[in-house]
Amino acid sequence: MGEVKKHDTPMMDELKSGPWPSFVDDIYNYAEKHKKQACFDILGQMELSYKNKETHWKHGGIVGVFGYGGGVIGRYSDQQDKFPAIWAFHTVRVNQPAAKWYHSSALRKLCDLWDHRGSGIMNLHGSTGDIILLGTVTEQLEYIFYDLTHQLKMDLGGSGSNLRTPECCMGMSRCEWSCIDTQDITYELTMHFQDELHRPAFPYKFKIKVSGCPNDCVAAIARADFSIIGTWRDDIKIDQEAVRAYVAGELKPNAGAHSDRDWGPFDIKKEVIDLCPTKCMFWDEGQKKLYINNKECNRCMHCINVMPEALRPGDDRGAVILMGAKAPILEGAQLSTVIVPFMRLEPPYDNLKNLLYKVWDYWMENGKNRERLGETIQRVGLNRFIVDVLGLKPLPQHVKEPRSNPYIFWKEEEVEGGWTRDVAEFRKRHPA
Amino acid sequence: MDKETLKQKILEVMQKKAGSGGKSKIYLKDLQREIPEANPRDIKNAANELVREGKLEYFSTGSTVMYGLPGVGMGLEAGVEKPKEE
Repeated sequence: MGEVKKHDTPMMDELKSGPWPSFVDDIYNYAEKHKKQACFDILGQMELSYKNKETHWKHGGIVGVFGYGGGVIGRYSDQQDKFPAIWAFHTVRVNQPAAKWYHSSALRKLCDLWDHRGSGIMNLHGSTGDIILLGTVTEQLEYIFYDLTHQLKMDLGGSGSNLRTPECCMGMSRCEWSCIDTQDITYELTMHFQDELHRPAFPYKFKIKVSGCPNDCVAAIARADFSIIGTWRDDIKIDQEAVRAYVAGELKPNAGAHSDRDWGPFDIKKEVIDLCPTKCMFWDEGQKKLYINNKECNRCMHCINVMPEALRPGDDRGAVILMGAKAPILEGAQLSTVIVPFMRLEPPYDNLKNLLYKVWDYWMENGKNRERLGETIQRVGLNRFIVDVLGLKPLPQHVKEPRSNPYIFWKEEEVEGGWTRDVAEFRKRHPA
Repeated sequence: MDKETLKQKILEVMQKKAGSGGKSKIYLKDLQREIPEANPRDIKNAANELVREGKLEYFSTGSTVMYGLPGVGMGLEAGVEKPKEE
């Protein structure tokens, strides 16, 4: 290996002075140890971008390995004379295991692979959930793919107009609140929709994320076109003994998560009852008993988070299906909106897959180029999407508050007597 | 429409688009619009098969994917040439 050349990077060096470990330190340490010119060049180009206040990357072109329509994002430097080692610096997306559990030997192998065939820089994990391997050249792509699939038993993830790699929270593997087996659902969907994942099928990207409970640790409601969030239908389970222990200060609220400072004694009224968004809780000071009006509860999880030993999600468990979240390109950011308030999820998840097929068939036919599902829903109207496209009934759960966002509109044939009915006549019979 | 006819039709559409000095890369959606008589999912499958046969190629921006005829318009390397090693 020839001489490596470090560029002069005063602005990058300044980033090292902050209180946190800096990526600049990491990249320099790695570059010096492994004598990687690409790592020096990438910091050199970044310094130049800071100076010029514009990017020096061009992207587009490479999409993947033979037969795949995604998984690799082509990236080229427009400063090829100055930084020849990063003339091509493609990103490789690798499908992460469900809930991102690795054996350390798998990570070691992956690092060895990337030391050898790439820049050595990687990002665990990108916001899609994939392992992101940053920086390699076109000639290496097929070798990387071969090594990944044959030695590591890993596959490329989704990019472009494909189904993006489905992602989930750690679910039942560690979390006792998980109402659904998020890992199994993610694995099943990933395997079932391999064709959609690797071959572009849609007008634009499509993301599926699975959270085990309404705490929504993978932010499915904010980032997924199709969010699956665990929930329950029956009552929150209460252990009154444990509630009294919290009130008496024997148990730490939030499982001790805020114990770094003295916040004073636990006040159940101030910290739980008054913060309930639907005001459905009551603490009887005399009887020392907690009451929950479960009909009003909207499963925000706050009380369960604060008193995990006393309160637990109910036993009648399933998931709520929401659709349409996206980041702001058109119209601004959107959260997913409830489409199916409760769906029981059991293997092989045929009900879920059928719903997905219905959505995709409609979106593939009616979505415009580069239009996310949320934008299509907005364009055709949520009422029409729910009723005409999916064939579902409008439900109270589709509405946030009665009479404030009444997007369920009637069609003429659904109204007795149509638009022309005599209202005066009707009021004669129904005066109030 | 059987698969072979559909594939032929896709190639015709691509050549027509590219031929008149028009677009060398088009969205899947545009293909589907040009062939309204076929099911969008069949068009997707046929187009992907054409890619495997080497008669079409993908072009990706990272966020979205387009289809093109190999050798027409900007190639996969997007006009970038690898610097010669001295």
